[in-house]
Amino acid sequence: MIDQPSAPDLLDAMAATLAESVVPACEGPAQHAARVVANLCRILAREFQHGADATSQTIADLQGLLGNNAVDADALVAELEQRLASADSAFDDDELFRVLKANVDRRLAVAKPGYSDN
Amino acid sequence: MATGSEPDLTEGLAQVVAEGGIASPSVEVTGVASAGATRRTLFLTVESGTETIPAVAQISSAKSLLGASMTVEDEAKLVRLAESVGVPVAGVLGASENNDLVGGPVVVTRRIDGPTIPRHVLRLLDGNPSIRETLIAQCGQALAKLHQAGTDGAPDSLPRLDAGHPAESYVQQLHLTLDGIGDPYPVLRYGIRWLGENLPLPAEKPAIIHGDFRNGNLIINETGLGAVLDWELAHIGDPMEDVAYLCMRTWRFGAEAHPAGGFGSFDQLRDAYEVAGGTWREDAFRWWLTARTAWWGIGLAFQADNFANGTTNSIVHAASGRRVVELEYDLLSLIEAGL
Repeated sequence: MIDQPSAPDLLDAMAATLAESVVPACEGPAQHAARVVANLCRILAREFQHGADATSQTIADLQGLLGNNAVDADALVAELEQRLASADSAFDDDELFRVLKANVDRRLAVAKPGYSDN
Repeated sequence: MATGSEPDLTEGLAQVVAEGGIASPSVEVTGVASAGATRRTLFLTVESGTETIPAVAQISSAKSLLGASMTVEDEAKLVRLAESVGVPVAGVLGASENNDLVGGPVVVTRRIDGPTIPRHVLRLLDGNPSIRETLIAQCGQALAKLHQAGTDGAPDSLPRLDAGHPAESYVQQLHLTLDGIGDPYPVLRYGIRWLGENLPLPAEKPAIIHGDFRNGNLIINETGLGAVLDWELAHIGDPMEDVAYLCMRTWRFGAEAHPAGGFGSFDQLRDAYEVAGGTWREDAFRWWLTARTAWWGIGLAFQADNFANGTTNSIVHAASGRRVVELEYDLLSLIEAGL
């Protein structure tokens, strides 16, 4: 009823194949592209596992910060950007920074784990 | 990789170096380098009489995504000016805006040995750690010399960021560039807002700024800094912008133990810069470090936007969208340290 391997497992296998077989067999721009695609596969594997939770947490944070109960993450992010661009100063500075930092940390855990260790 | 099948190109290149002062040259294209998103780079051999000159041609195919409005002829003038004040450069053999010669604006320079690809440079330094100390000092010296060259001899089309307050103008530019991107980036917007609220005092005098001085745009070899390349983002502005740019985390390419460029420490860079006559302003350094971090975050978002809107189908530009968060992290870390 459920196809195997799972999407994250397949993506990890695709990344490994690219990195171990394709990258060494290429040179120049093609090698660079293969490296980039391998890395994107790893990112997508992590996004499959953690992306939905991260988005839910961002929605909850933004609802609190903006006082808006919308459930569409894109709309909430757009509202925050628009209010920041219009120099809206009605934010609690500490809470604003916390929300931005928490969002970045969650996205970084998907895009580049370990980056915040340094 | 021989590309001797491009006779028109070699004739055009010969004309460019002849106009640059090389007597009766003949040119052979010996290879094609891959680096550079908006420029094609060719390896050449230029023969003139009994002299054989290894050379490089950079042929522009399109205007750079962010800024770059200088002509290649003015860029060549600028490189000659930098050379005259002691900045190591690849000497210019010729430059032309005439698209009929090789299909686009072109600069031909002498070829200097040594890698420019960041990963290759870091590998060289890992294998020869003693180069690092020389290299970081040479970077500080080169920047200090450039910044003391004065702006009187600057080419006419060199962009200026010195009307009023360079930092304030820069904040406006960042806002406008971000406005032009389809998707919202609240962290970048927050960062620009912070920059606008925390402007540093301007430098006493504006200076010629390289604008892209970092691993990837430098030839590094056993002697250290072989040449400073890629002058197309040069402009007149705050000297601390250049020094700070080299220190952005993203240009360390993972060499976190060496925060200044992936080569050395901030203190080593500062010492060399000051010994060579530069004036280090710590507040401005920190501000420009933050500002250029925001700029590159916007740059990556711009590349991703160009993929999203169909301007490019480059997978590298698509992947840039997933790198914006690294710059956002760096940006918030710098702001947090300055709060």
